[in-house]
Amino acid sequence: MEDFFTNLGLGFSVAFTLKNLFWCFMGALIGTAIGVLPGVGPVATMALLLPVTYYLSPEGALIMLAGIYYGAQYGGSTTAILVNLPGEASSVATALDGYQMARQGRAGPALAICAIGSFIAGTIATCLIVLAAPPLTAMAQQFTPAAFFSLMVLGLVLAIVMASGSLLKAVGMILLGMLLGLIGTDVNTGNTRFTFGISDLFDGIGFVIVAMGVFGMAEIVGNIGNTERRDLLSSKVSHLYPTRDDMKRSSGPILRGTLLGSLLGVLPGAAATLSSFASYALEKRLSGVPAKFGTGMIEGVAGPESANNAAAQTSFIPMLTLGIPASPVMAMMIGGMMIHGIQPGPQVMQQKPALFWGLIVSMWLGNLMLLVLNLPLIGIWVKLLMVPYRLLAIAILFFCCIGVYSLNNLATEVHFMAFFGVLGYIFVKLRCEAAPLLLGFLLGPLMEVYMRRAMLLSRGDPYVFIDWNNQKLSLGFLIVSLVVVVVLVLLPNMRKAREVAFKEE
Amino acid sequence: MRIKVGQDMATGLLFAIIGIGALFIGWDYPMGQWTRPGTGVLPAILSGLLVLTGTVLIVKSLASGDSEITGINWMPLALVSFAVVLFGLLIDTTVLNFGIFTVRVPGLGLWLTMAISMTVCALAIRETQWKEYAIFLVFMMVMAWAVFICALGMPINACPTFAECQVCWLVNTPVRKIYEALLWVVR
Repeated sequence: MEDFFTNLGLGFSVAFTLKNLFWCFMGALIGTAIGVLPGVGPVATMALLLPVTYYLSPEGALIMLAGIYYGAQYGGSTTAILVNLPGEASSVATALDGYQMARQGRAGPALAICAIGSFIAGTIATCLIVLAAPPLTAMAQQFTPAAFFSLMVLGLVLAIVMASGSLLKAVGMILLGMLLGLIGTDVNTGNTRFTFGISDLFDGIGFVIVAMGVFGMAEIVGNIGNTERRDLLSSKVSHLYPTRDDMKRSSGPILRGTLLGSLLGVLPGAAATLSSFASYALEKRLSGVPAKFGTGMIEGVAGPESANNAAAQTSFIPMLTLGIPASPVMAMMIGGMMIHGIQPGPQVMQQKPALFWGLIVSMWLGNLMLLVLNLPLIGIWVKLLMVPYRLLAIAILFFCCIGVYSLNNLATEVHFMAFFGVLGYIFVKLRCEAAPLLLGFLLGPLMEVYMRRAMLLSRGDPYVFIDWNNQKLSLGFLIVSLVVVVVLVLLPNMRKAREVAFKEE
Repeated sequence: MRIKVGQDMATGLLFAIIGIGALFIGWDYPMGQWTRPGTGVLPAILSGLLVLTGTVLIVKSLASGDSEITGINWMPLALVSFAVVLFGLLIDTTVLNFGIFTVRVPGLGLWLTMAISMTVCALAIRETQWKEYAIFLVFMMVMAWAVFICALGMPINACPTFAECQVCWLVNTPVRKIYEALLWVVR
């Protein structure tokens, strides 16, 4: 318990310097401003702003990134509620009842409950991280390469479960992502793979380039062909504060959502999406009037938003303790760390305690910023939503271009983005979800590294991954993955349940 | 029987073709030994699985039907991609190597590049109102210059590289100084 307070104290002393407060504020502000734009979720926002953090100190950069993340997430919920255009999968559940609330003229309370729920969830999840990080880091240091490998297998399997639509397509997208991740020089042998002799491919393709192409560009192409389908309910944001009744009805969902999200968030894979849907389903079941869900129930906004935020918070745990990017957002954080020469992993907590605890406290701070700053500013964000898409699309495209270009000042990388944009649009048309591709892209090269290490340590014996005596963790992860696959493939009921869960979108 | 290429079929074909291509390219990559898996191991496994997944998708689409691919925005797709490619080509001096000959594309600088590539993008949008767009473009150009060149100090020019004008630099410096002063205050 003493550690708890010393660690928190250290974190506060870092996060509460004027400079870092400023960056956190700027991050939350800019993050919200960009996240509000329809079709731009946290990943795209962070990708756009990642190059900006290059110019800051390591602490400032990570704190600003965390601020951007929370800002973008809140901005995404705002768009989901007001325009019914969720910027990413995890705010889909919010849009279900949030948009209906907005149509009834209760957009204000819906937005406020989002911020309040997120803040409560963030506070509790931060405490959980502070409590859980040291023991988990100690445990992470016991992880063998085989265990790392198997954990990532589990992550990919879970990503398949989480993807909406066809299972086979999700599997293919993961494989394709992993193949794309292998492009470049093989670090172990120095051979180049799939580079087609293009020297700018020798270092591999940047994650940001793939993300911007597949998410940013493809989204723009998909949207501008269609006629304006936005139905903005901005005029109805009149009173902001929820009534006493709203608060009473939301308190349960917020707490349950927080708990659910915190637990699910630790899992690798698209945890934020799963937790928000799970929370929505849970609230629907617990509610006395499940039929009224989807018609503007505040429980259906409070639960998923809190779950999603708690999961977002606890998904920092695998990133901070193991160095594994459990989601595209975490990959962005890792990208931010790498820019400053910090290799994520169990050693960060010991080698850079100020950075580690400062970051954790600033996540909470980011949530607080949202509550005290963004809620009063909601009018400005609504104005931003009124900018017509015909101009927004051009602006977003320009920011994608200059964002990618500013990474390494390489024109070829902009061209790679164009390639991935076309590919991303093809995927949209074929109903292949891009998130598994991105996760495979991230985890593929990491898995290869750990596979090789494990094989080297076991002197070439593949039994190392399922050795009961020495590799209990690895065996455990693989068994869980297998169970998940078997349940999904063999039990038609489960498959139907999954399809139903995604149908509600 | 006429076979229609639907969503699943097309996805299967895409996966299978990419997989076969990757198998083909990766054929010569060294496999190494069990203790030290070589460069080619993972590519081979992954592309093999990708071909398998693709094949299953194709078979499934033949067996149980498929949904049609609809509403491809060809023009926006082409124009938006073209806008991005143009941006990459024009922002700085690039040398295109076509094997037998090379083409040197002079960098047009941030402003002209923005004007050209954003206008190409605007052509893709049916609702574009050109007067409004012109004002918007100027606003974006000024903002991008202030943020990316003045404040963040990106190593690109606002004007074309061959113009060698010093005006930007003259304006840049005071703006940059103000930004640095602001940073200093914050620190």
